[in-house]
This record gives sequence, C-alpha cells and structure tokens, in this order.
Amino acid sequence: MRQAAAALFGAGFTVAACYAAGALLIDQLRVALRRDERIPLAFVLGAACLHLVIFVILALRIAYWPVLAGALAGTVAAALGTGAWRGLRTPSGKTVAPLSRTLQVVFGSCAGVFAIVYLANAWAPEVSPDGSGYHLSLVARDLRVHGFEPIPNEFYAMLSAGVEMLFVPAFAIGRHSAAALVHFAFTVALALAILAYGRRLGKPWAGAAGSLLTFASPVVGASGSAAYVDVATAAIVFGVFYWAEIWDEHKSEPNGLRLLIPVGLLAGYAYAAKYTAFPIAIYGLGFVAWRSKRLRPVLLVAGCAAIMAGPWIARNWIWYQNPLAPFGNWIFRNPYVHIIFEQDYGEFLRHYGMPSLRPLVLEATVRGGYVYGIIGPAFLLVPIALIALRYPAGRRLLLAGTLMFSTYFVNIGARFLIPCLPFFSLALGLALGEAAPLLAAVMLFHAVASWPPVLNRYVNAKCWRLVRFPYQAALRITPQENFLRENSYGYDVARLIEAKVPAGEKVLAMSGIPDSYTSREILVSFHSAANQALSDTVNMGWSIELQPTMERVFQFPERKARRMRVVQTAQAEHPEQWNVHELRFFYRGKELARRLDWKLRAWPNPWEVQMAFDNSVATRWRSGEVASPGMYLDADFGREESVDEVLLITSSDFILIRLQLESMNPIGAWEKVADNPRQVAIPLPKDLRRMATYEMHARGVHYLLIYDSNYGAQDFAGDPEAWGLKVIGRGEDAWLYQTIW
Amino acid sequence: MKRRLGLTCAAALANMVMISACQNMPGPFAPPVQRQPLADFRSYGMSAIVSMSDENAKEHFVQDITSLEASTWRWTGKRPTVRVRMRSGEHLRYIIDFALVEATLQVTGPVTISFLVNNRVLDRARYDRAGPQHFEKPVPAGWVTAGQDVTVGAEIDKLWVSPDNGAKLGIILVRMGLTQ
Repeated sequence: MRQAAAALFGAGFTVAACYAAGALLIDQLRVALRRDERIPLAFVLGAACLHLVIFVILALRIAYWPVLAGALAGTVAAALGTGAWRGLRTPSGKTVAPLSRTLQVVFGSCAGVFAIVYLANAWAPEVSPDGSGYHLSLVARDLRVHGFEPIPNEFYAMLSAGVEMLFVPAFAIGRHSAAALVHFAFTVALALAILAYGRRLGKPWAGAAGSLLTFASPVVGASGSAAYVDVATAAIVFGVFYWAEIWDEHKSEPNGLRLLIPVGLLAGYAYAAKYTAFPIAIYGLGFVAWRSKRLRPVLLVAGCAAIMAGPWIARNWIWYQNPLAPFGNWIFRNPYVHIIFEQDYGEFLRHYGMPSLRPLVLEATVRGGYVYGIIGPAFLLVPIALIALRYPAGRRLLLAGTLMFSTYFVNIGARFLIPCLPFFSLALGLALGEAAPLLAAVMLFHAVASWPPVLNRYVNAKCWRLVRFPYQAALRITPQENFLRENSYGYDVARLIEAKVPAGEKVLAMSGIPDSYTSREILVSFHSAANQALSDTVNMGWSIELQPTMERVFQFPERKARRMRVVQTAQAEHPEQWNVHELRFFYRGKELARRLDWKLRAWPNPWEVQMAFDNSVATRWRSGEVASPGMYLDADFGREESVDEVLLITSSDFILIRLQLESMNPIGAWEKVADNPRQVAIPLPKDLRRMATYEMHARGVHYLLIYDSNYGAQDFAGDPEAWGLKVIGRGEDAWLYQTIW
Repeated sequence: MKRRLGLTCAAALANMVMISACQNMPGPFAPPVQRQPLADFRSYGMSAIVSMSDENAKEHFVQDITSLEASTWRWTGKRPTVRVRMRSGEHLRYIIDFALVEATLQVTGPVTISFLVNNRVLDRARYDRAGPQHFEKPVPAGWVTAGQDVTVGAEIDKLWVSPDNGAKLGIILVRMGLTQ
C-alpha cells in the first residue's frame, strides 16, 4: 500500500507543479481563460516550463531528492502564494453555455468509465515494453548518477526526452507507476482541452465527440496509461494549436503579442517530447506569419521554441556530434550509430513487416497486429471530417492534423497517429456538429468498440491494448513483485541480472529487456555502433556468413610504398556492407610488423578501422553502410616500405564488392597497383568462439544474455565452455552467461 | 533588404551545419594492441567445475547429490558424482571443495574419501577434523577424452545415518569438477 501511495503522491506532486508553473506563466501573460480550459492549458504549458527546470538540474548533476522536491514545492508554493493557482489576477474568459444534460450523461459516463480503467492501469506496476524499458531505465539512470551523462551505447538515450524530464521527479518519489500516472494526467488534460476547445467554438457536442474519440481510442488508452510519451506529445501539440487560436482572437489587443509565448514554448516542447511532432512548429510559425503578416511575431515564436528545443539539440551536438541524433547520421557522421542501422531501422518502421501497405487503414483502425495497436474503427469515418472544411476552425484543424499526419509514414506504428487524433476527431465532430443524435451515436459506438472485452473480439491477438483492470495491483493488494512476474515479459530476467551481475558490470544482450528493473547497464546488440560491433564479433562464433573464411590476396612486383590502400570500386545492394577482418602487408612472404607510427584511415566508418589491424580475426572493420565506390582502408607506414603482397582476411559473403589496391606515389597521387585479388578459402580458425568472448572481456563486458529465441542460442547453450562462458543463471527463457577469463 | 538578410542567415546556417558535419571526422589511428594467438594465453583455462549454486547444476548431477540446502551447498550420499565435458584432455586438474560436519564425524569417526575421475581412483585422503576442505590434483593424461562426457566424483567410506529417518549423509559439497 505504501508503494501505491508513493506512486500517487509522486505523480500528484509533479502534476501539481506542472499546473502551478503554467498558472504562474498565464498569470504573467494576463490571459483571459475559462476555468475548464485554464486547467488543461496551464498543466501542459507548465509541463514545458518544468521540463526545462529539470533539464537544468540534470545538466548541473544536482538531481538529488531534496533538489527535485524543492523545485516542485517551490513552484507550487509560488503559485499558491501569488494567487496564480486559482487565477485570481487573471480575468475569466467569456462564458459559454453549460453542457446540456444529455451531453453530460453521454460524455461523462463514457469518458468516466474509460478514465477509471486507465487510472487503474497507470497506477498498477509498469509492464509496458518501452515504459519499463528505455523510457524509465534512462530516467532511473539519470537519478542514479544525479544528472545527465553521455550514453553512447544507447541510441534511445539520444532522443529528446521532454516528457521523461517530468518522469524524473515522479519516479524519484513513486517509482515506475508515478511516471505512468503523470502520463495519464496528460491523457486527461488532452481530453479536457479538446472538450474546452469545442465549447470555445460554441460547438460543445463537437468538442465532446472529439474528446471522446481521442480519449477512448484503444491505442491512446494503452499508451496514455503507461510510461510512454505519445499522448503527452499529442496534448502538447494540441496546446500549440489552442494557444495559436487564443492569440488569433486577441492579437489586436495591446498585449496580444505576448500570447505567442505559449505558442512558441509549446512548439519547441513538442520537438523536445518527440521528434516527429516538429510539424506543429511549422504550423505555429506559418499560422502566425499568415495571420500577423509581420516578422516580429514569427521571431518571437521561433525564439520561444528554440528555448525549449535548443537544449536537446545542443546536448546531442556536443555529446554525440549530431544534433539530430540518433538520426541524420549520413550528414553528421559519428561513431555512435551506423548509417546502415538507421536505414534498416527506418525501413522496418516504415512497414513493420507488412507485406503491403494497402491494408494499412484497416490495420491501424481494426486489426492492429502489425502496427501494435489500433485507433479504433470509428476513425474509418475520418473522410467525413472533410465536411468541416466549410468552417474556418475546421480548415485549421484539418491543416494541423494533416501536418501532424505528414510524419506518420516515417513510423507507421499506431501510436504515431495519436498526435493527429485530436485534430481529426474535432474536425469529425465539427462536420457532424449540427446533428447531436448522430454524434451521440458515434460516441457510443466508439466507446463500445474500444471497450477492452469488445476489442478482444475483433483485433489481432498481437494488437497492443489494455487487457486487464488491475485495481488490486494498483492498490498493491496484489504484491507488486507477483504482478510483475506474471505480467511483465523480461522482468524475471532483469531481476536475475540484478542478483547475479555485480554492480558496475555491463551485460551484452541480443534482445531488449525491461531494464528499468535492473541497475546494471544492458548493452542491447543493436542499440549502438559499439554494441553492434561487439555482437557481430560474438555472433561470428556461430554464424558461418560472418566468419573469416576467405583470404583475398593481391600479389604484385616488389615496390616501395609509403602509403597503400585497398579501395572498394563497386556499388553493392542493400544490405551488403564491406567487411574486413584483417588487412596485412607482406614482403617476400614476411608480414610487415605493424609499428605504432603507422597511421590507419578508413572511409567510411573511420572509428572502427583498428578492428582490421588488431591481429584478431574475431573482429572486423565494417563500412557501416552499403558498399559503394570510393570506400577504402588506408595504411600510412610512416616511411618507405618494400611490399609485394597485400592480404585481406574476410568473410565469404562478398556479392558485388570489387577491390583494388592503390599506392601513393612521391607526388602524393594514388596509383593503381592491382585489382581482382586472388581468393583463397581458409580453414575456420580454431577457438573462434573463445576469441569472440575474449573481445567482450577486453572491452570490459563480462556478461552475456541470450534468449532461447535469439539466433545462435543453441550454440551457446550446447557448449558454453567452448565459448569461454559459464552459465550463471536462467530466467524465463533466457540464459545468463559470464565470461571465464 | 530583409530578403538579403534571410538569404545570408540561411547560407550561414547551412555553412555551419556542413562545417560541423565535416569536423566529426577523426584523424588517423595508430595500430591497436595486437591480439596474441589464443593458445598463448595462459590467463585462460577451460573449466568445468560444477558449483552447487549454479542455476544449471542439476543438469550435471549423476548420483548421490541431494537438493540445495543453502545458497551454496548440498548434502551428498555415498558417491556424489557429476558429469562434465572437456574440450581438451590435457593438463586437467581435479578440484573439489567440501566440508565435514562435527556432529557426523563424532558418530562416524575419521572418514576416507576416494576422488574419482571416470570411476578411476585419482587419490584417497583421510579426514578426521570438521570444517571446509579443498582437494586438488592433476589428472593423468589419457584419463579424459576431449569432447566426451567425463564423470567426476568422490566416494565416502562411512556415512552418517540419521537416527530419526534413516537418511544417509556423506559430506557437504560446495563444488566439484575439472579445470585446466
């Protein structure tokens, strides 16, 4: 029960501080708002401000409990002390007609029931894959070290984390569930904001319909009651739109310009919450430019947005040499993310394994097996929303929604539709706004179709959705440990690692786990260039395609050379990379010793060039992108050397790759020495498996987690000793090994 | 004027991005530490020691080892035996860590333990004092075939018999196996 209370308090305290910060800013802006719109707008605006405060606390590495609690308490106290909490100094917005009795019953009963289900799920121990994975593991890590630190082994750590900043104080107090409850607060705030906007337009039924269509959407429920950030992002995005509308109404007033501050702050915060929300900044800037026809308001919005987004861009630029990290690696090349990974991952996110995108509409609304969730069959009615084009507000809603939809095909997961939903829902509501019974019918249909037991009847079994009403787990009547062991895949493994792996040690894992439940660092095989290189080495032990089974030999008349390089001359096809295990130079059959004054270069991926010169066939340099003409491996000997043979040890999987040897002449120009190297199959090196785990050991990684479903799992389990490994634990369907060096 | 200013700003920004992108490239690297052939590594030895606390310890049990009593040890019967597999038969050492209990020694008197590899007696030792014991001895070449199962065991000459339920207990076993 203490855990439940702590979670509620942690979330409540954080949410109160968000509201307080927003109320203080609104107080300064002297904005006239109705109470029903003031609460959600203040909360979301305050969240943006508080996120920046917590960012600074983490950047200063002073994220100790008293500092975080002090920041929250200070904000709440300031709002209470100044009267901003109750909006005493700001005029009330123009009154609107109260909601009709029928509307209250239809909306209140439907939304209320869903809210209770969401609350129970958010309050229960966190079992969502990403919530208990990177969203909260990074928060937990920040708290362990009391601030930010570069995490080059985890591409998720390179994403902006605007919403996770709010999870930090909540998690510090109430752990995982507190963070999920903060996200739940955003879900409620979004629903309230949509309803309030409808009332602002004088279309309460449209607002209620828009609100319920979004709120009861199955994927909104699943995400909004977990420690995710999608619904929060939608709330922030909608906040930009809402504040832009408020500014538009008051722009001619003397202080109208200051109403653009929330627009800019939230536009920047949208980017800080989730990269794919950046189109709302374009909307905000474009809308302000169009309506004001002046540069100054646009610059004000851009400046405020930069305050919110700038710290994240700067962090990535400084730490990861890439302001767009973990994307844009072909522009901002860096040692942390391979370009081919970005391409492969991006490709997967564009189709999620769907053979064709033709059924995507049904997939995202009704089935949900591929795209991990559905927005609900009611959204099949979205084309009707075009009727809303006849209203100015409808046109703006559809424009904003379309802009937010424009990034959807970058990632077709159902979650990535959430930021569009408020706009399309409201537009649909506006389109049918004159027909209250029809809207009531749509709302009831959506509520029934989205109700978890009904969902089970028609969605794909793999569809991500709420499947339980865990009120006993929420109240911790069911012990947290029991609930997690039964419902969180990977929880057992995380606890096994916590028990068996000493503090400070790292674990190389071929699959992700809910690593917020362990304090040990988990290096997931594909989460960074370094992890990929290491897992490539480990997989070399069992995978024939990766093994060093081929010599490619250039033989030529003896020549003096100070610098030589092997150039790749052909254009390969995805996913063929150029890989070289070892590059050796010979003279009369004797290898040139690799002296320390040699200078080694490679293009691309220069950071891993040493892996082709380390005298280990268990490691290899990889181009990190599809092989293309002009790629090279270059050795500067530092003095003239006699050379008559150059040998590359490679895998046998060259398909289109063609190689050419070049030597630098005295005037500094490259000249061709030979091409078409002779290919010789060589026996597989003895003890390759142990050489692989030695490389783990040499990099300070002494633990390996292999699920039974991972490729090569049987090879590890069949003979751990051959790998230089020892079994130290078994959890769920995974083996935990330790290197025995 | 404004347009020129905008163009200049855009050009400056693009320039900054390009320069910053180019600056990411590192200088040349020196050859790294050269890995030595694995056979020359003496810090590493193959090991097939079954610790009673191992998650998969039971998979190695052949006989006379009871269920886990504490986090690290188990009672044995007369002839506790484990099965392991070595990838090399050379330079192997038999290793066992166990303990004798005062209460049982008082009843049985000193015990003699035979140490076995593939049912061949490697050595015998007599113990008359309680407490933790360690025994280790090289295994003669030819006793173990690389890549085949090998049994590693111990035989206690006198067992303690429980007056209550007749259970027969030998030693407290912590770990047993072969190492290189």
